[in-house]
Amino acid sequence: MPSTRPSGLASLVVALAGLAVSAYLTVEHFSLGATLACPESATINCQKVTTSHWSHLGPIPVAVLGLVFFAAMAALCVPSMWQRRALDPVRVAVALVGVVTALVLVWIELFRIDAVCLWCTAVHVCSLVLLATVLWTTSAIRADPAAARSSST
Amino acid sequence: MWRPMSRKGRGPAARPRSGRGGGPTGAQKRLAAQRAVAAAAGAQAARRRRLVTVLAPVAVVIAVAAILVAVKVASGSSGPKSGIKPAAAAQSVTGAVTGVPAAVLNQIGTGDLTTPPTPLTGAPLTAGGKPRVLFVGAEWCPYCAAERWSLVVALSRFGTFSGLGEVSSSPSDVFPNTATLSLHGASYSSQYLSLTAKEIFSNQVSGGSYQSLDKLDAADEALFTSVGKNSFPFIDIGGKYLISGSSYDPGVLKGKTQAQIATALADPSSPIAKAIDGSANVITAALCKLTGNQPAGVCSATGVIAAASALPSG
Repeated sequence: MPSTRPSGLASLVVALAGLAVSAYLTVEHFSLGATLACPESATINCQKVTTSHWSHLGPIPVAVLGLVFFAAMAALCVPSMWQRRALDPVRVAVALVGVVTALVLVWIELFRIDAVCLWCTAVHVCSLVLLATVLWTTSAIRADPAAARSSST
Repeated sequence: MWRPMSRKGRGPAARPRSGRGGGPTGAQKRLAAQRAVAAAAGAQAARRRRLVTVLAPVAVVIAVAAILVAVKVASGSSGPKSGIKPAAAAQSVTGAVTGVPAAVLNQIGTGDLTTPPTPLTGAPLTAGGKPRVLFVGAEWCPYCAAERWSLVVALSRFGTFSGLGEVSSSPSDVFPNTATLSLHGASYSSQYLSLTAKEIFSNQVSGGSYQSLDKLDAADEALFTSVGKNSFPFIDIGGKYLISGSSYDPGVLKGKTQAQIATALADPSSPIAKAIDGSANVITAALCKLTGNQPAGVCSATGVIAAASALPSG
């Protein structure tokens, strides 16, 4: 059974965590009728964020884009995928896209919506930690490809 | 970790001779030690490079996020904005809301209700020997703005309100400036029910957050936290039913004044009446469960009986 470095497994765990939070936000997005309530704090306000007109990119909800991103990253971070060196730049590029998108969304929350969603913040943190674990594992494999092969089989 | 040695380092010329006994000589030991030190230094340098590779982009991202937050805080434009200042409700508004014709309510039934109350299984909520209704809201909250209309219509069938206010929800939240009534400072008298109505926050901002208004006592605070999950509006109907949030889409009130909403309540074809009166009938049906179907004239009304079917069994 394939295995990989601990940092490679960490990237898979972080991607799955991000996938879980994105799934929650997607469900919330499509079932807003069940949660027509205000949080106690007006600034930490997920509903204001997820129901704003910024919550869509064209016709696609941003929550769904997050779901697709973390599903793709989880697929790229399974142990057998870490053995494919050709995927290294793809994995890093997708992780970078995730982090840059997160920064744009933080800007939108702060300067356009005037509210912060803690669930969205959890997703943003996941994307940053994911980038770190992907970079770490990729650099480790580059530094020691023989060990990477032996530990991946 | 095993690494293959370089060909150069393993050649016969580079390999020191063994001592007579076959054991390593002092020179061999020194060379091995030097190689170990060099290998350790190389590994450390490689590890440092990897750390920089990882930490540099992470540090850049954190720095950018920190700058965004700092700019936001420094600009002072963050946070909620004050709504229209509260005032006493106009007589015409309170009259229309507390006196919706029974025929209209009967015609509407459940109307455009989207979220019925959920059953509770805790201890009954009572005060002075009567079932108690606990309302916890915030004047800035748009979902409270919607729900107050239905609650006042329903409770007015069991008793009398006085001191109702007029207010609008926050202009900087969803469903901005939704016109509503305020229960802050209002009183309610009924032979059937007791009402505790608390508006925790106003719609006026001070120091970057909404000003505090009413305080909950410890028992109600515990209910708000444990049952209401700290969300507004929280309506505990005698410990038997829970309303958490708005029972209908607040968008139906968009752009309307209190007077326009109050007037629309008597028009059964109006979307506003279908939403507010329909939700009020369901709340009325829940209240009738507490009062033992008293007063009979209210609890046996066709609209209330129709709405009772929307109540989940608890």
